Parts: sequence; structure tokens; C-alpha cells
Amino acid sequence: MKKVSKIIALLCTAALMFGLVACADSGSGSGAEGSDREVQLTFSMWGEVAEYESTKVALAEFNESQDRIWVTALHLGSQEEYAERLLIMSTGDDMPDTGMVDERTAIGWAREGLLLMYDIYAGQPSRPKDGITFKDRGQTVAYSVASEVLALWFNKDMFDDAGIPHPPTRIEDAWTWDEFIEVARQLTFDSNGNNPGDAGFDANNIVQYGAYINQWAWQLEVWALSNGGRWYSEDGTAIVFDAAAIEGMQKVYDLHLVHQVAPFNPAQQDSGWHDSLGAGNVAMASEGQWAVGFTSGSDINYGVGVLPYMERPANITAGGPVGIFSQTDHPQEAAEFLRWYSNPENNWGPIEYGWWMPNMMNWFTEEALLQRWIDDAPHRARLPASSFRTAVADVAINTDVTHPTGWYYTPNTDAIDRILIPALVEAANGTKTVQQVIDEVRPALVAALAG
Amino acid sequence: MRLNLRGALGTTTCCDGCPHNGYGMNIFRKEKKEKSIIAIKEQRAAYVFLIPAFLGLSLITYLPLLAALIVGFTDLTVFMLVRGEAPSFVGLENFRFIFTNPSINFLNSIYVTIYFALFAIISSVIYSMFIAVLLNRKMPGRTFLRAVFYIPYILPSAAVMISWFFLLRYEGGLVNYILVNMGFDRVHFLSSADTVIPALVMIAVWTCGNLIVIFLAGLQNVPRVYMEAAEVDGANFWQRFWRITIPCMTPIIFFNMLMSLVVNLQVVVPALAVTSGGPGQSTMFMTYLLYHFGPRTGQYAFASAMAFVFFLISALLAAVIFLTSKSWIFYEGDDK
Repeated sequence: MKKVSKIIALLCTAALMFGLVACADSGSGSGAEGSDREVQLTFSMWGEVAEYESTKVALAEFNESQDRIWVTALHLGSQEEYAERLLIMSTGDDMPDTGMVDERTAIGWAREGLLLMYDIYAGQPSRPKDGITFKDRGQTVAYSVASEVLALWFNKDMFDDAGIPHPPTRIEDAWTWDEFIEVARQLTFDSNGNNPGDAGFDANNIVQYGAYINQWAWQLEVWALSNGGRWYSEDGTAIVFDAAAIEGMQKVYDLHLVHQVAPFNPAQQDSGWHDSLGAGNVAMASEGQWAVGFTSGSDINYGVGVLPYMERPANITAGGPVGIFSQTDHPQEAAEFLRWYSNPENNWGPIEYGWWMPNMMNWFTEEALLQRWIDDAPHRARLPASSFRTAVADVAINTDVTHPTGWYYTPNTDAIDRILIPALVEAANGTKTVQQVIDEVRPALVAALAG
Repeated sequence: MRLNLRGALGTTTCCDGCPHNGYGMNIFRKEKKEKSIIAIKEQRAAYVFLIPAFLGLSLITYLPLLAALIVGFTDLTVFMLVRGEAPSFVGLENFRFIFTNPSINFLNSIYVTIYFALFAIISSVIYSMFIAVLLNRKMPGRTFLRAVFYIPYILPSAAVMISWFFLLRYEGGLVNYILVNMGFDRVHFLSSADTVIPALVMIAVWTCGNLIVIFLAGLQNVPRVYMEAAEVDGANFWQRFWRITIPCMTPIIFFNMLMSLVVNLQVVVPALAVTSGGPGQSTMFMTYLLYHFGPRTGQYAFASAMAFVFFLISALLAAVIFLTSKSWIFYEGDDK
């Protein structure tokens, strides 16, 4: 019996040793990939597994396009856990060379030396379009890899059923806020078919809302701008939240509280598209152009128009940046790779599918390129493409209308959001006015901006 | 020095001639005994086998605890580590900062954390005791029901919180749907500062299956002889419950309160998964702030100072439960 036990023990040990050797072999095998290259880089990212796989395909193209640099993708989970994982890696001097950067931390990390202030387009003939450069006191930190703006998305069938003309698609024809409310009112129905304001309207049994304004903190900023106000000073050094900004935000909350044409969707409960147009019970919703990606494979007949305005037409640019982390030994090669990666030609999948707009100016001005990423992209073409061109592409390059959102020039927006987002729930539910909320949290916002 | 033991409860006399009760202190005075070789070997083996656990505890628990305490008195951030800068000793500056900086509002966090924890402890203990008493009765399907009440405890807490969010949300939530159909107005369960803590407490109570199991084990150990004696004396159910069951269960209640305190003071999932610390600052729990200043933004000195305060508060509340327990815990054979 003892002999049998010994034999089993020996076999187990052998199996374990074999397994370890096999693992070691497979590990060195994967590590050996590209080891003959002069420079090895890692590119970190967040996102779904599908995005990771798509990025790996892009990196493989880069690796094949030249014989000096080898880039490996490093997937660090979701955006929420991305920053903390990078911070942990930084303590072991183990950060990737380059990668996506959380918009909210970009300026702060650059100030603290975690992100290089490196203009990857310095001295280059082609540069990204205006408004997508993260800058700290005038110095370039990073560029968004995509150029996004907001738009007014709508369900064409709901408009047609109500006999209401579709929203305007040119900025000069944009609805005023009052016009927008009136259309939203006509498109809001309770279970008995009544509109808000009608006798017997039952606000507890609304089956279709006319409007849905996305209340993620950085998207709310557009309504402050639209009403002639600001959240932050132009150089990002001061909290403003002036009377016009506060009034603009209150007008958004009043869509639900007063006019009863929008659902209750405070920032931390806002699922955006999936709770609005995607759910099939909302007629109009503000959302980024990336919603083109959501429209694919849906039976809903979507259209796109320009945002309504309060005092002046306004929009914001947005888009996740890529940057070079300070622990890299190869900043020049990382910049070379990022220029390649940010080139629309090399990251065509997300652009064609609708998630991204190109980041280079010539893609908005040259007809052949416009044709390629709008008219020839089926999801944009069915909006139709002409609407997308005027409602989104033209707005994106109109610098009188479209401004960088706060995180392009303001540090610590992560800390500001931690205070602002929960505080504004009390304005959204009507317990307090936006003025009261901002008065209460203003000292905290000032302290958070200071860091 | 040798003790003269005369019976378990008899009088003992030590060498100085002082009489002592059989269970008195002097019985614990160490005698110098000659240990057998086997006993010595066993003792050494015990030390050897304890080494891995001791090292593990020291390296993974006690050293980091000590480090966190020390970091709380420095200006360390993750960025200093990256830049290779040495932290400086700043005394109590971090504590002054966390208590006075308006962007932190730490006093509010302490308040909402303790409020939630006490509310959750009391509710959980009462609810789980009630359910345990019901499940302790002989009835068909008892085993199935015990499993039903235990399962919420083993579900992933983030999944539980998100599921409850979808049930309780203002727009499209099932509970509000039912309320509206019953003729009531919708309620901002998780989006009003007045109702969010009670709603979270309800969820915490729903997941306290472990307390139910422990109470069940305790109930099954309540001596049957007392119950029978009380029944013979004509005591009704409530009299038996209050005069026999509850006193016999006080050690279990004490244990469950302590466990519940530890779990509920560390509440963080609701804020992370659903409320983001709001509405207002009504769920800005201490651990949520710790997460924000620690892993999230790498301001380790502030996070460590918060952790130290959190530790003190936890210890204080645990001490209160321990100290007051002497007056309300009954042990069999106790004089009380």
C-alpha cells in the first residue's frame, strides 16, 4: 500500500513539474514574440473584450508595418478600474509605455509627472482638429483619439405618428429651448394618450417621453454653455458655475420636474441610450455621435438633428485620449506609435462602425474623405448621411458653437465629479434647486479643483 | 510552591496559608513542573507549525496595518513614489486636512457610516432573530425555507445591489410600478436623501442569511428542560420567548451584533454600484472616501489617516458592545 502511495505521489510530482515546464515554455513563447525588435512597447487600454481583440488586430498591423518597434496590447479591465490599476503598476515602476488615459485624470497625472507632457504632433505636417487637445496651462498633454460631439437623436416613427416635423439638422435652424419643450410635450403621452398640460394627464403613468437629456456630468456642461454660462474659467484654474450656468442646468431638470416631458435620470442612474431611445419609449435624446454605433442592428428608425439651444447654440467636444506614461524608456517610439494609432486610416473599424469620428481636420473638410466615413458608412448613411453631415460633422468643426469640455483644460475633474454628481441628484429630484445645490457644494468644488 | 486543592468548589490553601475559592485566581499561578520530553517536543512542533500562519498574518495584515498608520503621518502620494521622492513626516496635518477640507467633509462621512451601521445592525439582528424563531418550528418545507433565507447572503454583493437598484429605481422600477398600480405616488427610494439609508438598510437586512443560520444554531441549543418546566408552570409563548429564549440567546445576539458591526461599518458597495455617495452626501461612506483617496487617486497619506480614524471608530463601537455586554449577556450558571 505504501508503495502504491509513493508511486502516486511521484506521478503527481512529475505531472506538476511537467505542467510548470509547459507553462514556462508557453510563457516564453508568447514573450518571444517580437523580441527581435529594437524597441518593445506596451499599450494599455480599457474596454470590452471585443475592443481588446480589435485593438490587437490594429497593433498587429503596426507591428507588421515596420521592423523596429513591437507593441503589445495590455487590457486592464473597465474604465472605472483602469486608473487604479495603472497607479498600482506605477508604484512598481511597471507602467505601460503608452495607452489610453482616463479623461478625468489626464491633466492631474501630467502635473504629477505620471503622464509625459509630450506633443506627439510637434513638427508634423498634419495635426488633429481643434478642441481635442488636452492642455495644462498651454502645454500639450495628450490628444483624443476620436473627435466626438453631442447631437439630438430621435425616433422618426414617433414623430411621423404624431405628425410632427423632424428636428432641424442645421445649426442655424436649431430649435430654441421653448420650441424643444413644446415638441417634447406633444410627444409625451400617458397611458390614456394625454399630453402634459391636458386635463387628466397622469404623470405616474407616462408610456412615452418626448425628451431625454443625458445627465452625465460632463454632458450637462453643454447646457451651461448654451445658456451663456460656464462651469470653469477658460484656463481651468477656477470654479465658475455662474448664474447663467445654474439656470441652464435648472432648465434641464425642469423638463422632468415642471414640464413632465422627460424621465428622472440623474447622472449616477443614467444609462444613456439604453434607457432612452434604445428602450423605445423616448422620442428625442441628447447623446454623443457614438450613438451611431448603438443604432446598428436595431429595428428603431433613428434620425439625428442638432441640439436645441437656450441663449446660444452650443456643443462640446469629447473623446478618450491616448498618452505616453512617464516610466517609458522610449517616448519617441511611443509617440511614433500613437501617431500611427490615431491615424483614422489605421483605426478604421471604430470609425466605420460609428463609435468614433476621425480626429484629423482634413477628414472634415475634404469631400472624398467625408464621403468615405459618412456616406459610405452604412449606419451613418441611413440617418441619412446628409443629416449627419450638417447635424454632426459641420457642428464638430464649428468653433463658434463647439467648445472643449472641462476635462481638456481643468485638473481634478475626477474629484469634482465625486462631489457634483451625487449633489445634483437633489436638484434632479426637486428637493433643492440647482442654485441651492451649487451654493452648498461650491466650497467643496473649489477645494477639489485646488487638489 | 504547591496548591492544596480540596474538591472542585472547596477551599484551597496555598503556601502562604491564604484560603481561596476553588475557582479563585491562585489556581492560575504557574507551577514549575518538570515537562516530559514528549510535551517539549509537542510544544516545539506547535511553534514550528505556527510559524507560517504567524508570518502570513504579520506580513499580510499587521505590517501593512502598521505601515498604514505610519503613512497617515506623512505626505506620501503615489506620484511621489513614481518620482522617487521620499515622504516627509507631517505630524497631524493629514488629520487636520481630512476634518477641515470641504471637498472631503469627513465628519459627514463618519455620521452617515455610523447611522447606516447602527440602523443595519439593529434591523438585521431583530429580523434574523425573528426569522430564525419561525424557521426553528417544525413545519413542512423548513429545510427549503432555510436555504431560501440563506441564499441572499452568498450572492455577489455588487450583483445584489444592482438588482435592487432595478427593483427600486424611480423610472421603471418594479416596486414603484406596484405602488402606482395600488394608487400611490412613486417613491425616490435610492434617489432621495431621506429614503436612501432606510432602503440600503432593507437590502442589508435582506442579505443577512448568515445571522439567521447562527441564530438557528443557537436556538437549537436552548435547553429543552427550561421550556418544558415553563410549559408545566403555564407560561405562554411570549413568556417563554422573553424569559427563556432571549436570555439563553444573548451570547449569540452579542456575537451577531459584533459580526454585523464589522460588516456594516465597511459598507461601500452601495456607493460604488448605485449611489455614488448621494443623493447629496447621504451615502458618502467612510470606505467610499477611502477608496477614492486610496486606490482611485493614490493620495495614500490622506487615505491612511482616514483608515486610522475608521479603525478608532470601529474599535470604539466594538468596545461599547463588549463593555455593555456584561450587563445583558447571560451565561448558564451565571448569577444574573
